[in-house]
Amino acid sequence: MTGKRFFMPAAAAFGLLAAPVPALATQAHAAPEGIVAHQIAHVVFVASMAILIYWLRKRRLVKQAGWKYIQYAALFFILWNLDAFFAHLLDEQLAWIRVEKIGFWQQRITAAQGPDILAPVYYLIKMDHLLCVPAILFLYLGLHRLLKTLPPENAERLSK
Amino acid sequence: MTVSFFPIWFVDVIGSILMIVLSILCLRLTLQLRRKDESNLIWAYLFWICLALTGFAVSRSGGHIVKQFLLAGGHSEAWFTIRPYSGAINTVMFMVVASITLFFERTWKIYQDILRDRQALQSTHAELIYLNQNLESLVQERTRELAASERKHRRIFEVSRDMILVATPDGVILDINPAGQAMLGYPDQGTALLGRPLGEFIAAPAQLGSIQETLSVKGFVANREMELKHKDGRRTRCLVSASLDTRSTNARETVHLLIRDIEQRRQIEEQIAQADKLASIGELSAGIAHEINNPLGVILGYTQLLIRHEDPASENYQDLKTIEKHVRNCKSIVEDLLHFARTSPPQEDKIRIDEAIDDVLDFVRQHADVDRIEIQRDYDPSVPQMRLDEKKMKQVFMNLVMNALHAVGERGRITIETEYAPDREQVDVRISDTGYGIEEKHLAKIFDPFFTTKPTGEGTGLGLSVSYGIVKNHGGDIAVESQKGAGTTFTITLPVLFRETTTDDRYEQIDSDRR
Repeated sequence: MTGKRFFMPAAAAFGLLAAPVPALATQAHAAPEGIVAHQIAHVVFVASMAILIYWLRKRRLVKQAGWKYIQYAALFFILWNLDAFFAHLLDEQLAWIRVEKIGFWQQRITAAQGPDILAPVYYLIKMDHLLCVPAILFLYLGLHRLLKTLPPENAERLSK
Repeated sequence: MTVSFFPIWFVDVIGSILMIVLSILCLRLTLQLRRKDESNLIWAYLFWICLALTGFAVSRSGGHIVKQFLLAGGHSEAWFTIRPYSGAINTVMFMVVASITLFFERTWKIYQDILRDRQALQSTHAELIYLNQNLESLVQERTRELAASERKHRRIFEVSRDMILVATPDGVILDINPAGQAMLGYPDQGTALLGRPLGEFIAAPAQLGSIQETLSVKGFVANREMELKHKDGRRTRCLVSASLDTRSTNARETVHLLIRDIEQRRQIEEQIAQADKLASIGELSAGIAHEINNPLGVILGYTQLLIRHEDPASENYQDLKTIEKHVRNCKSIVEDLLHFARTSPPQEDKIRIDEAIDDVLDFVRQHADVDRIEIQRDYDPSVPQMRLDEKKMKQVFMNLVMNALHAVGERGRITIETEYAPDREQVDVRISDTGYGIEEKHLAKIFDPFFTTKPTGEGTGLGLSVSYGIVKNHGGDIAVESQKGAGTTFTITLPVLFRETTTDDRYEQIDSDRR
């Protein structure tokens, strides 16, 4: 028993010394990692907003106007994230869309792969601020309403 | 597809500017919320979300604006240099916003807990302030209430006609009310009883053991009958209810006992049972006596007829005389039975009872050897004349005096007392002797017909039965008290105004006595 216990580690050490290979201790981070990380961030953003909506509804907070607007903000953030996710997917990850500048304000958008409808869809989803601006606007309205509905006596009491 | 780039550019630039402006406005609102309620965790949470969103909006929208202007100005190299940093910051801000958002549920729960605790603290705080401001008056009010409660319970304890006793589980007396002290023969000497074992006052200690056992199992005992031992040795039958108090303020278990004296009630019940029994026997006797009396009359008549025709010296004459004698004895017994059964109403004569007793005593002195026996008379001069059947009452006194003489033997004392009780409108006649007394087991039977402790031939056992019947027939009562070796007292109670008494009357009398 004692002989076996010392023999196995000794044999492994010998094997490693006898056949050396590159250690590869630090992983290289090539260019696609950026877009992958960004897309994952979009997915996490969608999940977090969906969870927020779930809890707001579960706690019945959406019956109050302030929290209802915040719920709408979360919904628009989800839509915006999906929009941005597909825009990144089409032009940077899959490279199905090709964009060429042909004049001062002119661009040619071509669907290199996939159906031709992708080109107008891409043109529309590039205007993602049409979704994220309403999202933050709803957040503003929600916070504003919460501020208005805060009882003044509550503020007085707590400021003491 | 060739399209104008302007809408995208316009939406991007204006949207980016709006994003920055609106996110900053949101941040400002959360700051205002926090200023209004600094302790509100939800506002803090929204502040952090908006701070991250502002960072996100500034990094992203700023990047977009710079990008549009650099590309429009033909500085695409510059943009490609900045782009990775802008994108990386943008990604990080995404993650920060998403991460903070995920904490909403936890934050909300903590905030609710804080609110609950705060409310509890506030109500406690308010209560403390109220107590602090009103402590003195509250203490006074509570003290008054406590004193009133204590007085009320003390009154219940003190005025109760039943014994209320507090003892340790092993039976040591801790407290006892005045009624209890009186029941045990220690009136106004409560302290003399404290610390003494309850077992000292229980006739049969096994009864106390049984109560203690039940208490330890069930925690209470209801209406258990037992006998208490009075200081003078008397036994008193009682109903005991007890409960174990495990929540005593002095952290010691105590037993609370409520003991009701039922001796008088039991005696009356026994008397009623005795009266019922004697009434039943009386009915039976009356029936038999009536049936036998007529044939006896016929036998006596024919015997006397036959005697007339016989020579007094003949043997037949002697035989017939023997028959006549025994028939007369039989008739005498039958008449006694009829007296016991109270078949005929008493003949009412207006007499003085002490004179009737004196007549009986004179007759006894003439016909019995009573020289060594002391006869004491103690007549109450206030006893009025009474309507009684003189002959029958004399028979009663005769029976009782003869019994007393028999019990005393050759030497002793017989006392005859009369007493008028105007409140009850009754006269008591007590005939006491210092004789050998009556055994307790015989007390319940002494008024039964034919019950006698005398040897066969010396007594018929009808004397007391007849006396009982006569006294009852006068609306009175006859009772006996006796202790083996210490003598016997017969007490005859007769109404001054003659009327029948009923069972209900007796219970009413007991109740009024208890009150």
